[in-house]
Amino acid sequence: MHYTDFEDIAEQRLRRIEAAINFREPDRVPLNLPLDFGFRARWYGITTYEFFFDYEKAKKAIIKTATDFPTDFPPSTIIGSGLLIGFLLKDYPEIAPLFGALTGPMHDILRDKYTRWPGRELSPNAGSFQFIGGEFMRADEYDKFVENPSEFMAEVVVPRAHQSLERPGSAEAMAALIRAALEGLKYIKFTDSLINELAKLGYPSANATALTLVPLDFLGDYLRTIPGVLLDLRRKPDKVKEACDALMKNLPYRTFTFKPISSIMIPLHLNEYLSPKLYYEFYWPYLKNIITSFYNRGIRCHVAFEGRHDAYLESILELPKGWGVAFFEKTDVRKAKKILEGHTCVMGGVPPTLLLNATPSEVEEYVRKLLEEVMPGGGFILATSAPIPAETPPENVKSVIRAVEKYGVYRR
Amino acid sequence: MSLLDEIVSAFADLDEERTINLVKEALEKYPLNEIFDACRRATDIVGERYERGEYFLSELVYAGHIFNRILELLLPRLERERVSILGTILLGTVEGDVHDIGKNIFKAFAEAAGFKVIDIGVDVPPQKFVEAVKEHKPDIVGLSGLLTLAIDSMKRTIDALKAEGLRDKVKVIIGGGRVDEYAKNYTGADAWADSATKGVKLCKELLGIKE
Repeated sequence: MHYTDFEDIAEQRLRRIEAAINFREPDRVPLNLPLDFGFRARWYGITTYEFFFDYEKAKKAIIKTATDFPTDFPPSTIIGSGLLIGFLLKDYPEIAPLFGALTGPMHDILRDKYTRWPGRELSPNAGSFQFIGGEFMRADEYDKFVENPSEFMAEVVVPRAHQSLERPGSAEAMAALIRAALEGLKYIKFTDSLINELAKLGYPSANATALTLVPLDFLGDYLRTIPGVLLDLRRKPDKVKEACDALMKNLPYRTFTFKPISSIMIPLHLNEYLSPKLYYEFYWPYLKNIITSFYNRGIRCHVAFEGRHDAYLESILELPKGWGVAFFEKTDVRKAKKILEGHTCVMGGVPPTLLLNATPSEVEEYVRKLLEEVMPGGGFILATSAPIPAETPPENVKSVIRAVEKYGVYRR
Repeated sequence: MSLLDEIVSAFADLDEERTINLVKEALEKYPLNEIFDACRRATDIVGERYERGEYFLSELVYAGHIFNRILELLLPRLERERVSILGTILLGTVEGDVHDIGKNIFKAFAEAAGFKVIDIGVDVPPQKFVEAVKEHKPDIVGLSGLLTLAIDSMKRTIDALKAEGLRDKVKVIIGGGRVDEYAKNYTGADAWADSATKGVKLCKELLGIKE
């Protein structure tokens, strides 16, 4: 490929995505296929353990899958889980990205208690690392948290959540933090070179550059566990509210690059757990506020509405038009597209479970029917509704790509 | 209203402290079977409210928590007194997945419904399921998993049961946020559920138990 060729392709892909987000009909429906780490490792012929603990191998596996399964969106360049420390460093932008991702080697260094990894706690071929969270704040510590969330997290939560940092100020803890920073630097260099190589394949850098959580999800993930926060909502709703408000005042987020934030990812967890009463008091006002304030700063949000969000689709219309991209997991995208038409770009539509067992022609037929309904008017990005697992027959993944190229065209 | 009816209504309305106090009172007066029956009636109502969209997952988690507290109170007597059970479920999160929130809610609802549940934990390899089936001879095997990657583990577990000639001796249900009809067909399970209440209902159906 000549230099200009790949630039042209990247430009074309970016235009396609931008048109969809802005409710214009692009040349064809943009496609996003999140292959999970296990799929990439298997296709390249390595274990997931090798993938997560050897950046060079991960890079090759990502490049190989991005070449063999071309889509409009670049593969995720974040090869790790959510590092709690990263959230605490947002006021230190000159070093924060070093702690943006919790990688395999970083897990070894910090010995965090909230993730599990292939080749460590899991078998070397387990599909992915897993975030499990933990109770690092007790139910009776809300007041201390609310008094000064950043201080409480740095001084109490971080030592509890990472074995290597158990004794703050100890030589062991200092050594662990310095080693983690050096590892972070190595990782940032890896992602930079990965992004460069992906650019040579015609992939625009369309990944979100930061990540944040709705306060209630932050409590659930890092402080109280999901069942814990749900019990607190019953037993001490006022305290939970105070904690959410305190988090909102100085919203924690993690950055993945030294460049200014251009788009921010917000994965939602507790949205589908909550009754309308709880949702509209403890969740939606915060999510709306976060999206709107980023929108006002010219930053676009990519929100993953996990689980079933059907009950709350209409409320999305309260957001400013064109605020970002709404990715739906189990919500019916046909219904979402109808309700959000001309207001919010909808992404999703293909359950990865379909790809596990169907024939390529069944997959094609599924995509054809779906596109027929949802593509008119733009504002739609086709994606699988969850990452595609390792055992998915590759011919079915290719069938999705072919079907979008065949049936997703607005004009020749 | 009888004390047992009061338990049913307090539990179904998720009034935690009142339910616990009433159960403590009932422990002095009723056989264990009848207290269990009240719990079953209450969780049935919770399930109905969930299916109707009046309750959400947060309510199911909370109901599971209340039931676990009740179970703690009943445990000392459970060792002495026999209670009738609907059947035995062997339950675990499949290999490669370490999530257990869904598994634990299902377990509470299944126990409340009258099943004996043997929970063998998370990240359970197929061979461990096979050994546990041989040891406990359950009526139903429940395979849980949150992530999409768990679905292949479910299939491998069911394949392992087949290879050992155990598949026909048990019913298999898969459960979790990302399972669906496609996943059921892929794995070769008998049923799938993406909520605890639906899972319990299907377990009864699988064993031919009438409501």
